[in-house]
Order: sequence, then structure tokens, then C-alpha cells
Amino acid sequence: MAYKDTMSAEAISALGGAVEELLHIGKGAPRTAEIDKVTGKAVYIDEYQRPGMLHGKILYSKHAHARISSINTDKAKALPGVRAVLTGYDVPDVRVGFLGDQTLLKRDVVRQYRDEVAAVAAITPEIAEEACRLIEVEYEPLPAVFDPLEAMKPDAPLVHEVDARGRPLRSNILPLPWKLTAGDVEKAKAESAYVVKDEASTTWINQCCMGTSGCVAEFDSNNNLTFVSLTNVVFGAKGRIASYLDNIGLKRKRIRVLNPVVGGSFGTKLDTDIYEFICIQLALQTRKPVKLQFSRDEEFFALPPRQAARFTIEQGCDKDGHLTFRKCEAILDNGAYTSWGATTPSVMMLPMSSMYRVPNVLFQATCVYTNNIYSQAMRGYGNPQAAFALETSMDHLAEVAGFDPADFRMINRNQPGDVTPMECKITTCPLDRCITAVREKIDWDQKRGKGNGRGVGMASLIHVAGGARIYMSDGTGIRIKVTENGELDVISGSTDQGQGSPTVMAQIIAEATGFMPEDVNMIFGDSALGLWDAGTHASRHTFVAGNAAVRAGAQVKQQILELAVQYIPKLVKSALKKQKRKNPDFVEPELDYSLIDSPEKMDIKNRFIFPKAEPDHPYFRMEARDVVRRGLHVGTGESKHVVAEVFWDPPTQMLNAEMKGNYSCTYAFGAAGVEVEVDKETGEVKILNLVSAHDVGRAVNPILVKGQVYGAAYQGVGMGLSERVQVVEGKVVNGNFRDYKILTAKDTFPVEAVIVEDPDPAGPYGAKGIGEPGLVPTAPAIANAVYDAVGVRILDLPITPEKVLAALKAKGE
Amino acid sequence: MGAFTYHKPATVGEAADLAAELHGARFVAGGTDVVVLLKQRKIDPANLISLRNVAELTYIDSADGLSLGSGVTHTRIANHDYIRARYSALADGARVVGSKQIRNVATLGGNICNAAPSADTACPLLALDAAVRILGREGEREVPIDDFFLGPNKVALADGELVLGIKLPATSEKSGSAYIKHSRRQAMELPMVGVAAWVSVSIGGSEERCRGALECEHTPDVIQLLQNEEVVLEDVRIAMGVVAPRPIRAREAEAKLKGQVVSGALFESMGDVAVSECQARDSFRCDAGYRLEMVRVLTKRAILKAIDRIMRPGREADIDLLW
Repeated sequence: MAYKDTMSAEAISALGGAVEELLHIGKGAPRTAEIDKVTGKAVYIDEYQRPGMLHGKILYSKHAHARISSINTDKAKALPGVRAVLTGYDVPDVRVGFLGDQTLLKRDVVRQYRDEVAAVAAITPEIAEEACRLIEVEYEPLPAVFDPLEAMKPDAPLVHEVDARGRPLRSNILPLPWKLTAGDVEKAKAESAYVVKDEASTTWINQCCMGTSGCVAEFDSNNNLTFVSLTNVVFGAKGRIASYLDNIGLKRKRIRVLNPVVGGSFGTKLDTDIYEFICIQLALQTRKPVKLQFSRDEEFFALPPRQAARFTIEQGCDKDGHLTFRKCEAILDNGAYTSWGATTPSVMMLPMSSMYRVPNVLFQATCVYTNNIYSQAMRGYGNPQAAFALETSMDHLAEVAGFDPADFRMINRNQPGDVTPMECKITTCPLDRCITAVREKIDWDQKRGKGNGRGVGMASLIHVAGGARIYMSDGTGIRIKVTENGELDVISGSTDQGQGSPTVMAQIIAEATGFMPEDVNMIFGDSALGLWDAGTHASRHTFVAGNAAVRAGAQVKQQILELAVQYIPKLVKSALKKQKRKNPDFVEPELDYSLIDSPEKMDIKNRFIFPKAEPDHPYFRMEARDVVRRGLHVGTGESKHVVAEVFWDPPTQMLNAEMKGNYSCTYAFGAAGVEVEVDKETGEVKILNLVSAHDVGRAVNPILVKGQVYGAAYQGVGMGLSERVQVVEGKVVNGNFRDYKILTAKDTFPVEAVIVEDPDPAGPYGAKGIGEPGLVPTAPAIANAVYDAVGVRILDLPITPEKVLAALKAKGE
Repeated sequence: MGAFTYHKPATVGEAADLAAELHGARFVAGGTDVVVLLKQRKIDPANLISLRNVAELTYIDSADGLSLGSGVTHTRIANHDYIRARYSALADGARVVGSKQIRNVATLGGNICNAAPSADTACPLLALDAAVRILGREGEREVPIDDFFLGPNKVALADGELVLGIKLPATSEKSGSAYIKHSRRQAMELPMVGVAAWVSVSIGGSEERCRGALECEHTPDVIQLLQNEEVVLEDVRIAMGVVAPRPIRAREAEAKLKGQVVSGALFESMGDVAVSECQARDSFRCDAGYRLEMVRVLTKRAILKAIDRIMRPGREADIDLLW
């Protein structure tokens, strides 16, 4: 495929241009758009109301695997205030989900505790809940399987007897053969001077969004649907809903998907969840708007968490410490149904093939059905899981080969111009600077290798940072309209989940157009108004929407300057005439109109148009909005509106059948260093210091970049030390914030976010995506630090005091 | 949660009358346990009697030992200078319950009446030898705290009886106490194991050198130096939480220590005894084996911390310190 950039000349000049003259990029602009959130004015799904709105509730399974022998809804239906009670017998037998392996409400068999068995719509949430309690369901338990290794055995109970098309299944292994090979791993292994082999595993992690899941569905009299959803993929959600409606006989209905204010996403809003389809079905049944809102309990047991994974990883190097090969086999507990968790290997492949220079690679992943909960996306997708296996193995190999782990990483670091075994093209790559920064700031050389209960550890990362072509389109659309008052109304097809996009987009648009960030009115999350967008995921928003904004902004500026050529002379002349009328003695100045006779001779900054040759010209320097207003009021069919629309699809490749291709415009690198203290008597690990250095291309807003890194680092520490959804025989047993050990404000420790800038030619003003990277290297850095402190490798996350103490005892301490 | 009638008496008398009248009514003070139970539908009372307006239950009186009303909040206990100095274990427990918001409303009476095996004030009260003041139909009675806890969420209260407060005996300058909550994080947490210790000591050697010993970084060094100064545990009380169906006293371990000079060997054998007094169980929150390991470590640390409080009384009660 030709590697061709479609960037316009204007956009390139906007990017490249005189960098030192940037007025808004690189400034720590405050998040003014978020004041409503902290003052309680913002309308989240919790506050969202429609006239006559009903409330939905779902009744879940009481077994991990059972046949439903009877369902009796009589008592629930008789409860005053109940408007609809649905079971699998009341909804069309239509399959949904990534592999079409489930229905909305389960009629014959439940395969996990979170299986939706019935749903109620009532006039209050309390009545709906009471009605769910009145539904009587009888089950006949079936043999269940909870361990993916057990589930792979030929005699294991089958979670599904047939596939989406009704064909019989003989195995619990999913038909998703994730495999990437490059070079000759076995030959390289035989030739390696040093080889290590380890087993590492990571568990389910809840995304813990502050806002719980919810939606409101409403049909009009023609069965057109308005769906208020927290999705971060407005058009993906719309597509899935459209196909569902199609399948139940509501063909070619108009669907509008709208976002309310969203209280965090972290991956949970990528797929359209079953509760959303159920809500739509309740709205259809009742002919009323229906809201379905999760409790925190449901958020823990009925929302898919981060995909759990087990890895067997082997790596080797030569005598000089150059990596020779990497071989990794992953087994993923898919749970009972399939959501995006099953596709996390597509991202695991990136670090497995492309983190450090490694010529021979084999990565293979097997997804296995069990009667556990199923999984989806979470910040970093499969990368944090893979990085944990990879980076702990790196430390092990460095030790065996006799290298300092930081030196070992430097020896093998990626460099600009590299094409990785996955065929990813590395453009900018300041990984060396990230590792060096961590090494210095964590005081690596002084603190490492003491073995006195304190230790330091390090890990690196690579992640997509220039979009991610996981669908045929990785595009996004934006429309910028300049109003007669000089506001910029901007509609982006993407979404804002609270990551600060209104602020960052305003900075980019202000820079590109010559207006001020406060002039920009960002509108996100509306499938009717916005142009197509592939979703706010994969750390792609600033990069992709920013690139579209730079291009649209350049067009807006060009349009205004063209109007300026036409109307500034007229506005100046009429002003002079007016002055002459008022004061007959006024002497009209001799003005050189050639200063402004073409758009190229002018520019716009901080709302003012001016001639480049004389920026402070007393007559030609003019507010841009005056020209825009004049352009709107020409009359006789000549009036013109300043508006630009850009749809931008990055110049990247879809992965081919071998799972190779340059699927992002650019890649982000980074490194984390952690200093820990381990209490040898209790096994507790205390973080003393954490440094996270990240290649961000250019920081559009350094405050927000650091915010992303801080938040991600703390999430990474949670993954490393304390967070796990505990699933006992298929049941979530710690589904609340008391027993799910997310870190609290009292558990904080110093985190230093180091911004490493190396502007990327493909990024908007050089920016790369930074939403996910901070999480990725944190947990392996902790594991490596624990090893440095007390000499035990804990390769099963989270690193709990029990595991550390047991390992210390096994070692004889 | 189900529907209930909410009563707001202003005095102990009114509260007691309501309780006598409304069979099966539930008292509620801070509500941080009761409301959770209501929402989980683990209780479903027709009547709730609120104690929030009963000012009589909010006393803190240090005239003779220490008397605390059942309505005293954890925040007040944690911030009370005299309690921190002389009943340190109780302040330690009060300051680690839940979160700041919970401590601001949750009461001491509520914490012991809920009788969770993990209640953070339970071990301190056991170690400090508290008595519970109870008002029943027959009038007021006092029950030693060790007889008050019967089992998980079970206490020695008859229907309608009300806990008025807690009485703690006077303490001497040569006694100190500490509570250690062993948990996975610093807030919003139940302990995996909780241990409180109260000790009174006599010192054969130099107090100054004892203070120096406590500056050492490694626990074995601290113990060795204290042994050199002949620090004798004249009297000891140890209480342990989450290792049995209710918070318990480690009476055999106490007996082992009483009258002995502190030493590594003494702590070692005391740990074995304390472990033998536990009936820890596995749960998803923590394995029994680890809990028992922690009993060994934490009993030792709690005693050392209590000694530290005697030796260095002016010092801020640092709960993050290793001992």
C-alpha cells in the first residue's frame, strides 16, 4: 500500500510553520468546560429526564450455568406501577454481540451469573426493583467450567452447544486464531546465548468509572429512535442498534444517538452492552421513554471488566545483550459471551512484536469460553497485560545475561526509522530520552541492587498514538462554523468522556484559525449533527480529531482572509468616509491597499486580521468577526458564510491476514520507574516514588497531559498491587468499593510525570495520543522493583502481601 | 430498602420508652452500618429510632478513668488529645474507621453494637478493659466488653436495650496502648487482621537508652536494646480482630508475657500462643493462613508500639510507623 499523506498545503504550513510562534498550543489552559461538573450543574445520565419517562431494571441469573425450567412473571406484572415485564419469550430471538453469541434475555439456558433473565419497566426505579424480586425463576443447574485450561480439555462441559448460526460446537475454544509470526523463532532460540521462560498472569480489573452505566431510549410515533447513551463510539453504537432494529423488523428507522455528560469511560463505552438493547426493547414495548441506570453493584458484576490473561513468554538475547527472539502464548478466559475482550490480542501483538528491536517473533492467543463473566476494553486494551509479561521477562533476561535492566533496555531500544516485525513504521521515537529521564529521576544507579527491602524497577511501553485502524475507517469528521459574533461553533463526530477534549480541541482550533480558545464552542456526541467518527478510543482523539481540526481550521482561516481581501478595503473606506462627513477638515490618509490585496499577505491571530508586512497597521488591523459579519450581509445572492467541514482518515493500513501492517500514523513510547519498600514480615509493598516519562510528540496542554499520566499511573498501581475482580465459581464476590481495592486519596504517593517532546510530523502541531500509555508500564515496573528489593518475582497480578510473603517464605526468608 | 417509620426522640428516656413500645425497632445513630444493612435488605425493621438528637449520649468525661457516651463520633475520639495520650489504642482505632465522612457521623456505640469481627474500636476496647453501660427495662447495668460481644453481629443486648456508653479504667504513666489495623489500603477498609495491645512496664535500665532503642530502623535491634534495658511487661492485654467469629482477647499470650523481660524469644513464643488462640477462616478478603502469620507480626508490633507510647509520650501517635 502506498504510504501517502493527504494533508493539504495549508495544514502542513500550519503544522510545520514557525513553531515558536504558537499562541495556544503548549499552554496549560484550564478546563473551563468542566466547571459545571464540579459545581453539580452538568447533566449526567443520572439527571437526564424525559416527560413520562419509565425506569427499567434487569433480573440476573442465580447460577453460573443452568437450564431455566420456568419463569413466572404474574406477581411482577400485578404490582401497581409496573408497565412492562419482559422475558426471553417476549423479545424476538435475535442475537447480538461481537460474535452473535447471546440474546438480550436468556430463555433456555443461563451461562454466567450476569445473564439477563428478565427486565421490568415501571414508573419508579424502586417499583421496577421490587417487581424484579417478584419474578419467580426455577433453574436446573448444569455442569460449569471456570478455568480456561480446564475448559480447553476435550471432556469439559460446553458453554455453548451451537454457534451464532446454529451449527453445533465441539469445543470451548473460540474461532479467533490470533497469531503473528516473523522470522524464525526456533532457530533464533537455538542460537541465543541466554534464554528465559516465564509464566505471567493478570486478572479482571473493573474500570471503576465515577458515573455508572445508563441510557435512555425513546421511540417517536413512527418508531424512529432517540437513544441517549454513554457510548464513546456514536456511530458504532448506531450501527449495532440499527442492525438490531432491522433484525426485529423495524427496518430503515432513523436513529439518533446522543451523549449526555459522561462520567468516565476507560473502555466501558466501546461496545453496546446488553442493558442498552434491553432498554430499547422496554421503550418499544411501553411506547414511553425508558431509562435504565446501573447501581454500583451492577457496575461491578454486570459490566464487562478488563480481559484477564495468562502468558507463557520466552525471550533470548546474544552475548552483547541484543534480543534474538520473543515467543509468547496467551490464553484468555473469554467468559460466557464475546465482547471486545476477545480482541485484546490485536493490541497485545503490538508490544509483543514491536517493543524493543526483536527480529524473530511468535505471538499466539487462544480465547476460551468459560462460565465466568466476560470482558471488554479497558485503558490500554491488551497492552498492560502483555507489557506485564514482556517487561518482567526483560528484567529476568537482563539478570541472566548479566546486564543492568536499564542498560539492557537501552541496548534494545526502538529507534526512528525502524520497521518492526509487525510492519509498524516507527517515525519519532525518543524512548532513549524516556528511559534516561526515569533513570535519573528515580536515582536508579544509587538505589538499584541493594536488596535491603527497598528497590527500584523499570518498564517501557509502545502504544498506538496516531489513530488505530481497527476498522476499515479510522476517520473522523469535524465542522467549524464562525458566527457573526466571532464564536466558533464546532461539531465533532467524536465524543468527550471527561478526558479534557473540549479544552484541547479549543486550543488546536484557536491556533489553526487565529481565534481564541474561549471562542470555541465544542459539541460532541450527536450522530445526527456530527460527521462519522470511528470512536474516542485507542488514545486517538487528540490526534485524529486534532488533525481534522487543523485542516478545517486552515480552511476557515483561508475563507476569512479571502473575505478580508474583499471587505477590509470597503470597511476602511466607508469608515474614512464617515469620519470625513463628521469632520470636513479630516484629511484621508494615503493607504497602501496592496498590503492586503491577497490572502497570503495577511494572517489572523488572537481574533485580529492584519497585514503580515505591518501587523499593527492602524487601519487594516481588524477584528475577524467584523469581516465575517460583513460577509454574511452582502445581499443580492453574494453573501457568504464562513464554515468548513473536514473528514479525515489517517494514511494508515488495516492489519493484513498475517496481522501485520502500519495501523497507526505514529507510536508513543515511554518508561516508568518505581521505588518500593517491601515489609518482609507482612509482605506489604509500599510505593515510595513513581516516575513516568512519556513521549507525547508535543504537549498541546501540559497540565492535561500530566493529568492523563497521573491518573493512568495510579490505575497502573491499582492493577499492580491491589485491584482484582474476585470471581468465585463464576460469581463476583467483591462487587463494591469496600472490597474492590481501588486506591483511595490516602493511598497516594509522589508521581512525577515527565513530558518528553519530539513533535511528530503526522500529529496536530506534533501531538501524539497519550490517553492510555501511562497505565501500561506501571505494574511491571512495580514487579521489577519488588524483585530488586527482596529478590522475589511475583508474576501473577495483583502483587498482594500474601503472594509476596509466600514467595519470601519459599525462598527461605 | 423497605419502608419504615423514623422516630426522633430527644432524650434517653424517650428513646427507651419508644424501644419498649415498638417491638423489634432498631436504633440508628450515625447510620453508616444500619443504612447499608437496610439497603442490602439484611434488616427490614418497621421502626427506626434515631439517637442523633439525644445529647445525653455524647459525653466525654475523663474525671475518673474515661467515660464515653455511645453517641460520640469516631472523629471526636480520634481528635481528643487526652484519649490520644492515655487511651491511644482507642484513638488509633477511631481514626482508621472507614473514611473521614464516615468517622464524622459514625458513633462508638454503633461500632460495637454492629459487632463486626473486624470492628476497629472493638480490639482497643477489649485491650483497654472497657465496660459497657446498658439501659434496659430493669434499669442500668454494666457488662465487661469481653462479655458483650457474642458472635458476628451479635451482642449481649435484649430487645429494646440501649447502650449508653463505655467506661474505661484509669491508666498510669507507665502504661501505653496501640492498635494496628492491617489492611490493603489506607481508607474505606476492613482490616485483614486488627490487633490492640495495652501494656504497663517497669524498666530496670535507662529510660533514655530505651528511647534511643526506639529510634532504630530494624525491629530485632529495637527488641534487643529494650531487653538490654530490662524492660519488664508488668501487665499486658492483647485483643485480636478478624481471627475469630468475634474480636477476642489473647489471654494465654498475655499470660505468657506477664512479668517477663521483652526479648526476641519471648515474642516468638508469644506469637505461637496467640496464633493457637485464633479460629481464623478463609474468605475472599484474606486467607486464614495469612491472617495467622499476621497475628504473629502484629501482636509483637502492637506491644512495641505501646511501649513506644510510654517511652516517648509527647510524640504524635504515628500509626504508619512499623511498630
